[in-house]
Amino acid sequence: MKLRKVIAAALAGLMVLSMAGCGDSSDKPDTITIMVPPVTGTYVEDLNGWIEEYKVDHPNIDVQVIATSWDEHTSKLTTMALAGEAPDIAEVSYGAVGTYVEMGVGIDIKKYLSKDRIADYDQNALDYMTLEDTLYGFPLYITIQALGGNREMLEAAGADVQKIQTQGWTYDEFLEVIKNGTKDGRWGFVFANSGATTADFVSIFGVAAGISSNFTPDLKYVYTSENMLSLLQAVETMTTSGYMPDYSVEAGQRLVMLETGETMLTGKAMPLFESNVKKNIAGKADGSAVEGTIDMEYVFLPVPTMANATESVYGVVDGMIALKNNNTTEAHLKNVCEFLDFLCSGERAAAVDNAVYLSAVCESGRKAQESFTLDQSDLNAAAVERAVSKVIAPPAGITAEMNANAKTMMDETIVPKFQALLAGEATAQEVYDAICTAAKNLFGEENCASGWVK
Amino acid sequence: MKKEGKKPKIKQKFNKGENISGWLFIAVAMFIFAIFTLYPVISAVITSFQKYKPFGSEWVAGRNYLDAVTSSLFWKSIKNTILYTAAVVPLSLLLSFAISVMILPFRKKTQSVFKALYYLPGIASGVASAVVWLWLYDASPSGIFNRILGVFGMSSQNWLSSSKTAMLSLILMALLSSHGSNIIIYMAALHGIDNTYFEAAEMDGATFMQKIFYIVFPLCKPTTLFLLVTGIIGSFQVFMNAYMMTGGGPDNNTTMVGLLIFNNAFTYGKYGLACAQAIMLAIVIAGLTMLQFKVMGDDVEY
Repeated sequence: MKLRKVIAAALAGLMVLSMAGCGDSSDKPDTITIMVPPVTGTYVEDLNGWIEEYKVDHPNIDVQVIATSWDEHTSKLTTMALAGEAPDIAEVSYGAVGTYVEMGVGIDIKKYLSKDRIADYDQNALDYMTLEDTLYGFPLYITIQALGGNREMLEAAGADVQKIQTQGWTYDEFLEVIKNGTKDGRWGFVFANSGATTADFVSIFGVAAGISSNFTPDLKYVYTSENMLSLLQAVETMTTSGYMPDYSVEAGQRLVMLETGETMLTGKAMPLFESNVKKNIAGKADGSAVEGTIDMEYVFLPVPTMANATESVYGVVDGMIALKNNNTTEAHLKNVCEFLDFLCSGERAAAVDNAVYLSAVCESGRKAQESFTLDQSDLNAAAVERAVSKVIAPPAGITAEMNANAKTMMDETIVPKFQALLAGEATAQEVYDAICTAAKNLFGEENCASGWVK
Repeated sequence: MKKEGKKPKIKQKFNKGENISGWLFIAVAMFIFAIFTLYPVISAVITSFQKYKPFGSEWVAGRNYLDAVTSSLFWKSIKNTILYTAAVVPLSLLLSFAISVMILPFRKKTQSVFKALYYLPGIASGVASAVVWLWLYDASPSGIFNRILGVFGMSSQNWLSSSKTAMLSLILMALLSSHGSNIIIYMAALHGIDNTYFEAAEMDGATFMQKIFYIVFPLCKPTTLFLLVTGIIGSFQVFMNAYMMTGGGPDNNTTMVGLLIFNNAFTYGKYGLACAQAIMLAIVIAGLTMLQFKVMGDDVEY
């Protein structure tokens, strides 16, 4: 009897406690989790400031920040998502959106936001975050990746820099310039090609052969086209002729090689490098500059275009997506999407875009950028503006599965074979044949492009 | 009749105070084993038959296993792993054994200094040592190893980006940085050999090599078997070196099974396929371990 009384009392106590808990829940703030790498040098500090600002108008919202490094961000996010514990919002590059959609953790954010808010963003940038007509997140910026060089050396090698920046150049002109620029122990052209950066080489230099997306407008896999063979043959020419190093170059090495005059031209290069180069040269006074730094004027250049190809520039959209987890409810999702919109627009977007020397991809962001002046030369500014206008968004209708398969092709076949080409262990034709075989197995022959794709 | 007679005996035994306390003593270990080992293994087996999604996995029967065995990359990774293991494990044991024999004649303090020096790389994090090795293997003419080659008039090598040298570079890295624990275990085994064997051998006029082959080798056999089994298990699971140094390249020539499983699970989100490959790897390791015990373990007692 005594034991029964004790158990009954304990159960009653628990009931009272749980009722009290229920009573509290209505007042409990809704906690949004956000996982971000250092998008800019001060992003996490800025984010904490923006959260405080947001909480003034939304006192019922609490935001928990999970700061990651670039190295661990993707694997940590994938692991959390697979465990059903994804953060509510995460930074992703557009190429990774398909992975999370395929996992079933993507959220259709249009359901939770007004049309006016979505109209604030540029359609071109929104297309990158859209799969099968569903919008999964908002873009922060379109970053353009192309080439960067030393103006004096380029002009000495016969390049009309101003003309290239304003009108573009052909692949033959480019080849002539890097040939002339390769002298006195200096390379004409260095592209980071070690490890994962090989994929950058394929994507960024792919535009030279008219490849601007993994799929053609009629949704055929593009790397089986003759454009790819031409790209591979171009790389083969550059490496065997000695204009490019015949050894792998780490990502961090390329800018150092440009700053120290070991190369005339480098890739991948971004507009932001102008600031990096200026800061490094200024560091010569206090000894913080890279050893062997030379005085130079940095110029941002487009990737050259081959005959028969349409000029374009490789653009990558990085942004924030909303994700589903074990605690997701409809009311919570509305809060998540509103906060997501807050972060990707207005002064928040402007702060990020100013830091990376880019224009915002939303109207409110561009407005906030008006008062800010970049330390950028007029010619580079014009070249960047022109490059942004040459970015072609991926075609509509790409499914999450197609995206995931394209990533598998890139990681398991194209990059490894491309590395063999760079090392001089496979010919362009052998690499192309291997890519075609693997792609036809994965996508089916009818879904692979053939001939030259315009 | 026999069965009926046994039942109360078992019950009686179970009820004895010392048995209950025995169960209580192992309860914590059993609980930890069940939660952190048994449950993940069972869960991995179940997941290997699913297209895993956090909110509603799909049962695909043996599809993941079929995908694994029909993938040329899977077989290439198995081949790479076997090649790496075949080079690293025996050479590593041989080197550790030779170093231990050379350290043995020194005084105890000197032995400790050598043991500490050889164990030192094991204390450093894998990432930190990989960064040092990346620097050594720098493919530009200013890289450390390339400078050494230059002294002898040899041309620079593309150490980690050429299929001719990438695997060799990983093997060299493993051989030069993982002897610490092997040496300590071999030293313990060598100290356990009674001095009378050596005294008798000396009286019979045995040479140094004869003592090694007829006394040290046989008496260290249990240690060698232990190090061989654990070495092969560790080598088949190797991941960090390839992940940090080459990313599996060039042309997947250094993609090990461990790296492939990691990529499938955490890069592509294909948990089902990764679990199927992990189960197959576990079966291969179990088979190899049994084979080693069968071949070498007949006269070994622990």
